[in-house]
Formats: sequence, C-alpha cells, structure tokens
Amino acid sequence: MRHRFLALGLWLMLLAACGLIAGRTSYRTDMGDFLPSSASPAQQVLAGQVNGGAASHIVLLAIRGAPAAVLAALSRNLAPQLRHEPEFLDVLNGDDASFAGSQDYVWRNRYLLSPSVTPSAFSVAGLRGALDNDLAVLGSELGMVTGRSLPADPTGLTLNLMSQFDSGQGPAVQGGVWVSTDGATALVLVHTAAPGFDLDAQQHALAIIATDFALARAVTPKAGPAYLLMSGPGVFAVHTRDTTKSDVSRLSLLALAGAAGLLAFAYRSPRVLLLGLLPIASGALAAIAAVSLVFGFVHGITLGFGVTLIGESLDYAIYLFTQTARGGSPVETLARIWPTLRLGALTSIAGFSAMLFSSFTGFAQLGLFSIAGLIAAAATTRFVLPHFVPRGFFAGGAEPLANPAFMLIRHRREASGAVAVGLVVALAALLAHRGGMWDGNLLNLSPIPAAAQQLDQDLRHQLGVPDTRYFVVFRAPDAELALRESEGFAPVLGKLVATGQLGGFDLPSAILPSEQAQRARAAALPDAATLRANFTQAAAGLPFNVQAFAPFFAAVAAARTAPLLTSAGLPPALALELDSMLVRRGDTWVVMAPLRDVSNPGTVARALAPLGAGLVDLNHESDRLLATFQNQATALVVVGSLAILLLLLAGLRSLRRVAAVAAPLAAAVIMTSALLTLGGGKLSIFMVAGFLLIVAIGSNYCLFFERSAPGAPGWQRAVASIVLANLCTVAAYGLLSFSRIPVLHDIGVTVAIGTFLSLVCGAVLSTPKAVTP
Amino acid sequence: MRYWAVLLCLLATADCTQQARAQPAWGLPQLMESLARFRGGSASFTEQQTSPVLSAPLITTGTLTYVAPDYLSKVTTSPVPESFVLEQDRVTLTGGSAEGTHVFAINQDPRIAGLVEGIRGTLAGDLPALEQFYTVILSGSAGAWQLRLQPKQPALQRFVQSMVISGSEGRIAVIDTLSSDGSDATMRISAGDGTDAP
Repeated sequence: MRHRFLALGLWLMLLAACGLIAGRTSYRTDMGDFLPSSASPAQQVLAGQVNGGAASHIVLLAIRGAPAAVLAALSRNLAPQLRHEPEFLDVLNGDDASFAGSQDYVWRNRYLLSPSVTPSAFSVAGLRGALDNDLAVLGSELGMVTGRSLPADPTGLTLNLMSQFDSGQGPAVQGGVWVSTDGATALVLVHTAAPGFDLDAQQHALAIIATDFALARAVTPKAGPAYLLMSGPGVFAVHTRDTTKSDVSRLSLLALAGAAGLLAFAYRSPRVLLLGLLPIASGALAAIAAVSLVFGFVHGITLGFGVTLIGESLDYAIYLFTQTARGGSPVETLARIWPTLRLGALTSIAGFSAMLFSSFTGFAQLGLFSIAGLIAAAATTRFVLPHFVPRGFFAGGAEPLANPAFMLIRHRREASGAVAVGLVVALAALLAHRGGMWDGNLLNLSPIPAAAQQLDQDLRHQLGVPDTRYFVVFRAPDAELALRESEGFAPVLGKLVATGQLGGFDLPSAILPSEQAQRARAAALPDAATLRANFTQAAAGLPFNVQAFAPFFAAVAAARTAPLLTSAGLPPALALELDSMLVRRGDTWVVMAPLRDVSNPGTVARALAPLGAGLVDLNHESDRLLATFQNQATALVVVGSLAILLLLLAGLRSLRRVAAVAAPLAAAVIMTSALLTLGGGKLSIFMVAGFLLIVAIGSNYCLFFERSAPGAPGWQRAVASIVLANLCTVAAYGLLSFSRIPVLHDIGVTVAIGTFLSLVCGAVLSTPKAVTP
Repeated sequence: MRYWAVLLCLLATADCTQQARAQPAWGLPQLMESLARFRGGSASFTEQQTSPVLSAPLITTGTLTYVAPDYLSKVTTSPVPESFVLEQDRVTLTGGSAEGTHVFAINQDPRIAGLVEGIRGTLAGDLPALEQFYTVILSGSAGAWQLRLQPKQPALQRFVQSMVISGSEGRIAVIDTLSSDGSDATMRISAGDGTDAP
C-alpha cells in the first residue's frame, strides 16, 4: 500500500514538474530551427529567405470576375484603403502612389545616392557633357516626359537611379492601375509588415485584405461579381496551417471516435477507457519537458509529429487491460507481461535513438521526444495504471473481436504459404519497379495544392516578381564595411549586365550607400558660386536658359550640408528590402544580394570569386538540403532497425527467437512498400519514416505472439489484446490517410497497412507450436 | 407657270437627295476611315521645340516611318542621332541620351502610352484607342481638318495639355504638342516623295 502511494505521489509530482516546464517552453515554427545546426552559409541564406526575407512578406492579389474597367476601378478603391492599415508596409497597384515613397526618397537624396556624383561631373567639361545629353533628351520622342525633371536635375541622376530600382518588368497599366494583358485580372502586390512565418500576424493581415476588398467592392459600381484571389508565402503558410488544423481536428476526432468505439466495445467501462489515455498523455508531457530542457525550445513540427511517434503507448494500456483474465488482478497481469512490454518499449526506443545523432535539429528533437515519451508512458503503465483499474474489471468484448485472428493462427501452416507467396510477389514487384523508388520532387512533398502553385507562378510572372534563384553572398565585420564592399560590386555586376550575363541586380548600397561614399559625394559637390560659374561656362553656345536651372543650384547647395542617410530614415518598403539584403548574424554581417535572369551562372561565379563573394543558387541548395534530409532519414531508419535487431538479440538471447520476431516485420515492411509503389507510385520520405513506426509498433505484436503458444494459459487474452491494439492503430492511422497534407497522408497510409500486415505476418510466423495439454 | 415652279422644286429636291447620297456628311468616323485607309510609308519631318529651359527653339529633323497598324519609327538625324521604334506595344530606343539600346513596353507607363497612342491612334484611324486616353474634338473640313486631343487621365494631364493634329484628307501635316510646363513641340511632316507620306 505504501508502495502504491509512493508511486502515485511521485508520478503526480513529476507530472506537475513536466507541466510547469511545458508551460514555460518556447514553441518555435521557424524553419531555420529545424535545419541542420551545421548548415552551410548558403543553406542559412535559404532559411533566412524562407523565413524573414523581403520575399516572405509578399502577398500577391488578383482581382477577377468583372470587365477590365471595373477591375481597375476596384483596384483604385482598394489600394488607398489598404495603405491606411498599419499591417502593410506598402501596397503597389500601379497607380502614382504605388512608388511615391521610393521615388520621393531617390529624388530628395539623389546627390548622396548616385555613384555618378564625382568632382569631375561638376566641372565645366562634366556639365557640358550633361547639357549635350539634355538636348538629346529634349529632342527625343519621350522628351515631354523625361525632360520634365531637367531644371532640377540636369545631370540626369534620377533617371539613372530609378532605372536601377526598377526591373522594368512591371505589368501593363490600364485605367491607371496594373491590369493583366488579357484584361481579366487587376494585379496588386502587398508587403505585409509581419514576416511570412508569423502565421497569426499573416492571418490577421489576410483577413484585413479580404474585408477591405469587400468594402471596395461594395462602393465600386458593377463590381458585384468580382472576386479576390491571394497568393504568396504567407498565404500558403496560413492555408497549410488551416488545412492541417482542420484535417487533424476532424480526422483525430473521427479516429478518437473509432478507437473509443472499439475500446468501449471491448472494455465496457468508460473509466477504463479514459485510463487508457494516461500513458500517452503523461508521455507527451514528459517528452515536451525533456526536449525543452535539452534544446531550450520545442519545434512545432516536433510537437505535432512526436505524438504520432509515441502512438504505440496507447497500446501499452490495451495490453494491460485486455490481458487481465476474468477475476484476475491487473497487478498480476502487469507482473506477467511487463518483461515483454519492457522489451517492446526498449526496441522502439532503440529504433528512435538513432535520430538523436542527426544533424537536423528537428530529427534530434523528435528522437529525444519519442524516447522520453515512451519511457514515461511505459513507467506510467508499470507503476500507476494498475492501481486505478476498477476491482473485477474484465475486457469482455475483446475476444470476439479477435476471432478472425484465432482462425488465422489455427490455419497458420496454409497461411504461411500465402504469406510466402505474397512476399515473393512483393519482392518481384519491387524489383520490377521502373523509374526509381524515391520521390525526389520537392513539390510533391509540399502541402500546397498544385492549382495554388500554378496561380502563384502566373501572378509572379504577370507582376514581374519572379522567385529569386541566385544571390551574391559575402560577409563583412560590420554594416559600414559590408556597404563599402557592396559598392565595389556595382561596377562588376554592371559589366555582367552590359554583356548580357545578367538581367539585373539589387545591392544594399543602392538603397543605403556607405557613410564613406556619402561623405565623398557630398564633398564632390561644388559651392554655389563655383557651380553657377561652371554651369554658365558649360552652357555657352547651347540654347539653354541658365536662369531656368535655379532648382538645380538650390538642390546641390542643400545636398552639400544635408545629414547623411541612415537605415532609420528609409521608407518602409526600402527598409524591408535593405533588411533582407544586409543581415546581422552574430558578430558578422552577411550581404545577400539577389540577381535577376542569370544566363550563365559559371561566368557570374568566376567574376565574383576575386572579390571574395560566392554565387548561391537557391534551387541547388534546396535540392541539396532535401537530398541530405532524405539520405539522413533513410539512414536513420536503417540504423534504427539494426538497433532494434541488436536489442531483440540481447533481450531474447536466441537467434531463432529473434528471427521469429524480426522476419514477420521484414515481410510486412516489404509488402507495404510493394503496395505503396503499386502501379509505378513512388515512396516519399514520410513513408520511410512510417516504416520505422511499423517496426516499432509491430515488434510489440510479434513479441507477444512469440511469447506464448496456443493453448497456454493467457494466450487467448494476449492475442485479443494484440488485435484490439491493431484495430485501434489501423483506425487512427487509416483515418490520417484521408488527410490532404502529404506528411499526414503518407504516414497514415503506411502505418495502417504496415501494422495490419505485421499482425497477420506475426500471427502466422511468430506463433510457436501449440502446447499439447 | 405654277406647274413649272412645282416641277423645279421637285427637281431641286431630287438633286438635293442625290447630292446627299453621293457626299455623306463629313465627321470623325469618316476622317478615321480615310486615315485607316493609309497603309504606310516614310516622310521627313522637322520639329521645332520651345521650352522654359531653352533660350532658343530647338530644331530636330529626321524621318518618320509608319506601317499599319502598329509599327512606327522616328529616326532623328540632327542635332543628335536617335531612333525610336514602336512595334505593337514595345519601344526600342537607341542612341540619343540613352547609352546603348533600351527596350520597354509602353503600357507600363500611362504617360508614355498616352503620348505614343495619340500619334499612332491617329495614324491608324483607331478612334477607340484615342478615346482611351483623350477627349477627341474635330474641327474643319475633309480638306483641312484639325483634331484636338485632350488627355483624360490626371497622370497624362500633368505632362500634356493638348495635342493638335492637323491634316488634309487621310494625310497628317502637323502634330503640335503643348506641354503643361509651357513647352511646345510642333512637328511638320513634309510629303516626302509624295507617294506614300503619312
């Protein structure tokens, strides 16, 4: 009795401690935290772009469903409303206000921003060249537009600067705003204040867009049938979370209902039904606490996926409750089955322990989560659960459920032939499989539906904002040095653009020049008297009215004493762009400057090498990351399976008995992979993870099958408990296979098929010869 | 005597109706139709520009080429060689103030689209295209007409006050663009070799 209270007290104390830790844990969803801690700088760039780069703030809006003129009017009504919301840094729809912020910044600060500001540009010869050029501008077909800024900017700085900022690929303007060439879509590009990974903020921002759109539609005549489509990283992330949430809650409710129905039928006691949840609940709590203590945070993926991994702890309670004979005591049952249960839990722990050594922080967290969770669940089953079972409890409904299994075992000689045939057919199918077993296409793993991906590509193409693939990457000890280095790249990249190797580039120094450059430019500007004298001399003989250039003289005089530009003074859209190009990492600064339309990456990389910068290809990096991820996952499953075999050998101390347990599992995995790849299908990385779960859960079945022979006392209860456990597993994981999220679907279908086959193969191959009474 | 008078009147009416049938009332649709009939050709031009920044008019000369319905080139030979080529909605600028060649789509910028469509729309006799950007007012007669284009959009209004295109029958003789900052460009198109001038 004292023993019992000691165990309960200890359990409650530990549970409270774990709850306390779990409550204070920081939960992260940042992709970067799931990546290998040893990730290359390039992969860190990738993670940085995915998580917080300017690209992750983009929301693309498409307004459709009405004539072009109506769409344009709708866009004109929507944009000003969105611009009033603090959730958006800028709202571009092609109207004049779209670029006002950046244009104004460039216009006001042109003498500090432009690399053409040198002493020689303001000499008589320099100004003469500029004025000659101005005559050509005035005489040109577009002189009416481009010549307008001449009185204030005769050296043409703004035109050159703006062409640097504008990639020149924007959509067509109709009715004052961007409308696609076919007139079917009005296009709007929004930068949210929150980064793409801040899902709550993104969801809030998207809701505001939808509300403002509804308001704009209400005040725009004939806009009734118009509708809004949204795309972009934040939209995808929010959508994925919603789908996952709804799938998980819908399917897990169904799974719970299914499993609870089965257990209610078997147990006929609601109290015992709830007791069955104690091991997994305690396990999950302990697992969160353990991961939090070791890693300092728990990743969202670890939390969601880890509970799936420790799903077998639900079985522990089933084994205990179901194997208690009529009139027997659960404490005695536990004493009897504990060695097998312990070995089963240890094999799973061995299988998952390989993950601890993964370089992916996420895998390592999952490893620790499942180990801690299973230990806690097993301990709860061992020390706590038996004391709560009501006196005289007997799972009366379990044995009828197991009737098919009893029949299978009676005819196991014939059935083993069928299993052998099935295995041969499966092996033949796997060997004959054409075109590779592995699905290497990242997009197939993506939870984003193909139609949504297509829409995103179409909108990006129409808006001229392609996904950036190439980046120039270099490091510097501080921001000023990084900007100075960035200035050194401008001529090199400019040359590549001129020779057609490159479509264009952005550099942080184009937005914010280094202090050094700014001081040099301010110093290059002549004083008022010199400037006027030089200008008058330069204009001699040209048909210019010097008096008309008063705005120019005033602007130069102001720029000489203007305060230097700082990142704090940037308009929000440019600040966002600068922040994603110039990033602080610990005590160094990393510059990641995007390149457009790289036609020859090799040439570009060679041109950059002497400057100490690398060319990073994001497609290549993400492919490599995926390959590493797949290789590691596969290796973990193989090493985990070997660890399980070794542990079985240590526990059973007999090669023959190990074979009796391991052979059905191998057969089940082989047949499952054959079924999954039936008709040319491919195995995803999630299915491979599912294999480890098959082995972890299935090994428990086989251990129980192997342990007692038909006719031995308690044999029927043991088989009934295995069948009940498997029915619950198939119900729960089988329902997951209806999910629209690839990871849930793949794991669900793999584990449901695999554990069922483990049951069949274990019943046939692991069951020892019947004892003759 | 009375009969004669009645007869005369009848004849006159018949004559009037006949005249009306042969020469329908002349207006915008008819001008556009005769402009559209012109399929293309080259002509030399002289453009005179005045501007607040200029102390003397700036004279440019060169050649205009038009091929219906959407090719237009303006090659300036003096004072600074430059070429402006419009094909469908793509502009290619070479020489002049720009280094190298610049290619862009006109409808990315409503101001440039307005300027370019004013001329091309007139050449092509494309009233809907003109009316997208301008209020179109016609005066004069088929032999000496004047088309006044007034920009509708504020973005264009800030640059162009009005464009006045005058000509005779299906030919354009003068394009006068008055800018809102007080500058004015008058382009006179000479008949060239006389056979295929725009």
